Amino acid sequence: MDQTVAAEQYDVLVVGAGIGGMESALKLGDMGYKVLLVEKEPSVGGKMILLSKVFPTLDCASCISTPKMAASIHHPNVTTLTYTEVEEIGKAGADGRFRARIRRKARFVDEASCTGCQLCESACTVAVPDQFNADLVARRAAYIAFPQAVPKKAVIDRQGSSPCTFECPAGIEAHGYVSLIRSGEYEKAHRLVLDATPLVGTLGRACYAPCEAQCTRGSLEGTLPIRRLKRFIADQHAASGEELGIEVAPPNGRRVAIVGSGPTGLTAAWQLARLGYAVQILEAAPEPGGFLRLAIPSYRLPTEVVERDIDNVRALGVEIVTNSPVRDLAALHEDGFDAVLVATGTPRSAPLGVPGEDRLGVVGGPEFLRGVKLNEPVEVAGRDVVVVGGGNVAMDAARVARRLGAASVTVAYRRGRSEMPAHHVEAEDAEREGVRFAFQVAPAEVLGDAAGAVAGLRCVRMQLGQPDASGRRRPEPIPGSETTLACQLVIGAIGMAPDTAAFATLATANPNGTLRPDPDTLQTGVPWLFAAGDVVHGATDITRAVGQGRRAAHMIDRFLDDRPMDGFDLRLPAVDKAAVLARQAGYAWRGPAADATTLSPAPLDFTEVEAPLTEVDARVAAGRCLDCAVCSGCNECVAACPVEGCIDLHARDEEQDIDAGAVVLATGFQLFAADLKPEYGYGRFKNVITGMQMDRLLAPTRPFNTILRPGDGKVPERIAYVMCTGSRDETVGNPLCSRFCCMYSIKQNQLLMGALPLADITVHYMDMRAAGKRYDEFYEQAKAMGATYVKGRVAKITEQPDGNLVLRYEDIEGSGTIVDAEYDLVVLAVGVQPNLEPGALFPEGDLTLDDYRYVAEPDEDLNPGATSIAGVFVAGAASGAKDIADSIVHAESTAALVAAHLERARLREPEPEAVPA
Amino acid sequence: MTGSSAAANARRIGVYVCHCGGNISDYVDVDRVIAAVEHEPGVVVARQAMFACSDATQGDIERDIRELELDGLVVASCSPKLHVTTFRGVARRAGLNPYEYSQVNIREQASWIHTADAEGTTEKAIALVRGGIAKTGLTEPLEPIVVETTQKALVVGGGIAGMRAAIGLADLGLGVFLVERAAALGGHVRGIGAMYPNGRDGGRLIDELAASIKARPSISVFTGAEVIEKSGSFGKFSVGLRVGGPGSETLTVEVGSIVVTTGFETYEPEVGEYGYGIDGVVTLPEFKAMLDASAGPLRHAGRPVHDVAYVYCVGSRETPTKPDGNAYCSRYCCAATAFASIQLGEADPGVRQYHLHRDVRTFGKYELLYERSRDLGSIYLKFPDAEPPEVALEPDGRLLVTVRDLLTGGERVAIPADLVVLVTAMVPRSNTELTGLLKLPIGRDGFYNEIHPKLRPVETTVDGVYIAGACQGPRNSSESVASALAAVTQSAVILKKGYAELDPLVATVDAVACDGCGKCLDACPYGAIELSAGVATISETACKGCGGCVPLCPTDAIDLRGYTNDQITALIDGLVGEAVA
Repeated sequence: MDQTVAAEQYDVLVVGAGIGGMESALKLGDMGYKVLLVEKEPSVGGKMILLSKVFPTLDCASCISTPKMAASIHHPNVTTLTYTEVEEIGKAGADGRFRARIRRKARFVDEASCTGCQLCESACTVAVPDQFNADLVARRAAYIAFPQAVPKKAVIDRQGSSPCTFECPAGIEAHGYVSLIRSGEYEKAHRLVLDATPLVGTLGRACYAPCEAQCTRGSLEGTLPIRRLKRFIADQHAASGEELGIEVAPPNGRRVAIVGSGPTGLTAAWQLARLGYAVQILEAAPEPGGFLRLAIPSYRLPTEVVERDIDNVRALGVEIVTNSPVRDLAALHEDGFDAVLVATGTPRSAPLGVPGEDRLGVVGGPEFLRGVKLNEPVEVAGRDVVVVGGGNVAMDAARVARRLGAASVTVAYRRGRSEMPAHHVEAEDAEREGVRFAFQVAPAEVLGDAAGAVAGLRCVRMQLGQPDASGRRRPEPIPGSETTLACQLVIGAIGMAPDTAAFATLATANPNGTLRPDPDTLQTGVPWLFAAGDVVHGATDITRAVGQGRRAAHMIDRFLDDRPMDGFDLRLPAVDKAAVLARQAGYAWRGPAADATTLSPAPLDFTEVEAPLTEVDARVAAGRCLDCAVCSGCNECVAACPVEGCIDLHARDEEQDIDAGAVVLATGFQLFAADLKPEYGYGRFKNVITGMQMDRLLAPTRPFNTILRPGDGKVPERIAYVMCTGSRDETVGNPLCSRFCCMYSIKQNQLLMGALPLADITVHYMDMRAAGKRYDEFYEQAKAMGATYVKGRVAKITEQPDGNLVLRYEDIEGSGTIVDAEYDLVVLAVGVQPNLEPGALFPEGDLTLDDYRYVAEPDEDLNPGATSIAGVFVAGAASGAKDIADSIVHAESTAALVAAHLERARLREPEPEAVPA
Repeated sequence: MTGSSAAANARRIGVYVCHCGGNISDYVDVDRVIAAVEHEPGVVVARQAMFACSDATQGDIERDIRELELDGLVVASCSPKLHVTTFRGVARRAGLNPYEYSQVNIREQASWIHTADAEGTTEKAIALVRGGIAKTGLTEPLEPIVVETTQKALVVGGGIAGMRAAIGLADLGLGVFLVERAAALGGHVRGIGAMYPNGRDGGRLIDELAASIKARPSISVFTGAEVIEKSGSFGKFSVGLRVGGPGSETLTVEVGSIVVTTGFETYEPEVGEYGYGIDGVVTLPEFKAMLDASAGPLRHAGRPVHDVAYVYCVGSRETPTKPDGNAYCSRYCCAATAFASIQLGEADPGVRQYHLHRDVRTFGKYELLYERSRDLGSIYLKFPDAEPPEVALEPDGRLLVTVRDLLTGGERVAIPADLVVLVTAMVPRSNTELTGLLKLPIGRDGFYNEIHPKLRPVETTVDGVYIAGACQGPRNSSESVASALAAVTQSAVILKKGYAELDPLVATVDAVACDGCGKCLDACPYGAIELSAGVATISETACKGCGGCVPLCPTDAIDLRGYTNDQITALIDGLVGEAVA
């Protein structure tokens, strides 16, 4: 054990703050012992606080629980930690004490400053089944467990990063904006994207959407159209004429120069301007935007969309100076820029490196595309065009050539189709637009005609050898396999390179011309000089460029503020998709949005090929989101919270060690999962509910304020109870009786007869186990009130078209025949399953469980509550099914054993002596 | 305007009306209550809450007390039994004297009992709250009575529960006097062999406990002893004991708490009841003793026992056939019978056993006993509640049990048997003298009654007197031990600190006005009043604040703190609306 950190010292650690744990903790506190009470849920109270009334006194469960709950956080000797897991418990040393590691789960809400106002809850855009209402209704991701929660502090159910958000290289809260669209908050969704980048419309069209590849719904019916949803909000915003609505800090008096106005430069400028910097962008080309404006064809990304996004940046006061190639970075610094960011990308084409490359009619891909965008196109009409390369630039060039009237367009690529680096949709669309592909051919020579113009491309056929460093199989020429592609125009699109010759004196450059700043801080060897984007990494894509721009802005700000240059990537780990799918059992099939791309085999113009989502489509599409991480990261709670700094969506779990002289396991039980009895139809038949659900329907904090059946909201007139669901039943592996189901059913029978005087209540039972003080009298009272009790196990339940249910059973006491009886609502009296957590707490494996995996009490006759480990005790239903009254007595009894153990330990305790370390 | 409302005018009272999550607000119009009382004299703030007892609302009230400098607090919610300590705690935490708080019960006294009359119940709630406000207008700060506690406990009854309680108390450093009426410790369990649920031998368990007691010098054991006198109160009782039968030695012990573990008696069937009295018809304890004494197949009256019939619920759940009989279920007997049948089945695999029951209540893990019993061949038949089996002696000397079996379509079945076992109930022990001495409350079932099965499961209405084990109601041995240890916990809570705080809501005597007539002495059920020098004096620690003496005093010399005559008058004025313009 780590001796350097002093663990907090307690007399007793109580695990679980249900009724048993609270009772033990409070009694030990009353005796003067220092108690740590740890509860994994956000509130103390366990299952009891969720109940309506309790048998046989019919006290309301809240009234009995709330004083104990309040006492658990006000008691001077009891420290209560909610939303905290005990991870493991071991021996602290030779003196019999225990050391426990506890993990305080991130609430994402500061417990001390939360006032319980619930504004975050109203603002939250995510709804998930409410476990505190037995899943009858939904709750928000930001929530307070229930009205009587102690502490009454919000918690945000944020299980990690949703896969879409986690995957985005640009750091955009994908799940967040989808969730806002689902709520109809399009402007807020737009602002959430703006929080990362000004390029909303651009990314909504030209992004390759790595998020969609990660969408959990993708493994069901198909991914959400996350990119098109982004386009939808960009279009909505453009049409609305609304202000950006982005917070901008007041000018801080410092200036930053950014060289290059591509996605990296624009994003960095945007972020820095929002932080109060005066930013100037210097762009070599006549138009800003880099590849967005000068390469990506407008059938994919219309020029006006890019210009709108660039206007976003200008709106923050960023000055963009075009036709201004920068040759001298030091001069910029001397001119008063506190920092300079180089984000010049990869503007140059890589040469083909074959003879004849300098002929008229050979052009680089980026240059070709740029000419079109600047209205200075290369002559294409009627010519046969060969595009060399298999990347996205090659696809763009080929499709543009089709639009410019080429007689034919052939893409020549040296490997096979599956090795092409172009996004598969780009390649497929190119093919659908009439582009031909020649695979496994490499250019050997550009052939010329008499005038020196291109006449063809001589190629060598290739075969694929062993995989190379990129993982793709290396193409090798097949000797003597030469062939010629006749053409008049060759577009070389085999790669792009930076143009950094002018910066090389200040920034370290790699042999390929890319710069080499620190990969985390993006700072070069010259402190005020930063480099980011493709000029560092080589050609990537827009999202990565945006991500680099954000990182550069963050680091420049940290640098100029003289703060540590960290804290950029605060993403929580991605949630496990399998776990997300596992909890979706009840979700309906929802088809994906239809593809809206219109392609012509012979495209004639640059009209955008993809249609926007309609508002209805967008809402339906966003509604398919599975809320993988539960919290979407939409930030609405942060905006709504009246206490500055109370909500921190980047909080992390915190672990700490504590020492205790004794441990009480009060981890309670789990209710039987009723869908494990498929013949009763729970989960399939909406009007089959569990006993816990009925208790919620009856509770003072009931979800519907009346008793109704969930299928159609009808008030039930004939209600049946099926006892022993999951108990006394070898078919589900549980031969034990759950002890309290008979009694809670009798209680519910009485409450139902009070609430619905005309309803008929029938209970199908095996033995009515009303064994306890005043229990049988309570049973007799229910019979006298009119409930009917029928002996015999129900074999099967079927559902009628109107939602009614037919129970089949053997009428043992009556006719002795098989009977079908129809009811409006069926309540399954589900029983108890062991909570398996305590066994896992002791890695040394010395906690003995009984045959049914409850915590064993080896000396139950004389020391109930003592376990197989001296100093570890059990209270309440963790050692076997108990009703509330028995749990309380058991917990008080355990307290006496704990106190005796502590007293013995105290008397044995030697006088402390100074021991040299 | 009366003087009391003038006094109230000077006060700063906060009023909180609780919805109790619908328990109140479904019937009482809380908005109207607030509107009706917010301008009452002295009221500074009136608010409503979904659950006044919730921690959040407690926090709100505390804030109001501090920020609005309240000097009086009224919460209109449920019975003070539930929450008076909750809201006194709220007051204390906010710096307000806890006794400046009054709880008004608009749930048990309004919403729950007038569910058909929303208008009437709202008006009643308004009147009750007004009364509470008027009474609170006259509160004064009071300090709790601090009692030094004697760090010793008395355990009455030396069965398994009492023995375990004594050890538990001693382990916490408390001195213990363990008193047993019989000549030896051990009670019922001492005579039982193997017991469910774990098959351990009752006699050995008792031996183990006896050894533990011997090893603890802080436990003094008195067998053949009885409690004959009790005085003092919570934290400081004097208890007189007689040791060794009438006319023998008596002594007095000083203790801080008393744990009563006097156990149960076995139901004794009347002669003729299910054939009781016929040779071969035995009770479950008698049968168990036969089993424990026998090795291998059982013999009775010199003959082998081939067929055994068990008749369940003898003395329990009797009302269908005996309206004034025991209504309760004895809880332990189904499992005990299943266990006995396993014992016999294992000793004699050829034996035939028939269980005539109404419901087999082998709850929880005891279900495994039921299963094992059936695996060993026991046959279970269910008879109608109102049609119990009949037991007759056949001419051949065997027994014949006739029963209608509901599990085979109500067929009448005749079962010849060598032994009929009457599964007899646990009944309350007759202990009139002790009950009277300790003023122990008795429930409808005849067993001692705890204050509340969930809130205070081993406490009685007499502070410092606890009950545990089967004197509280039928239960098995390990359950008795658990409740005994719960009583240990409860004793330790009050005794370990060395002092305890009592409510100062006690009666006081104006010595000048008192003429020493002594009428109050007879009225006091707690013996808290005595005459000295011609004047009544009331022991603060013995007085329970019941107020029974107050109206009897011909000179109005007695007043009850917290419920003074002026306060009650003001309360009544508030209730009937006279104090309100």
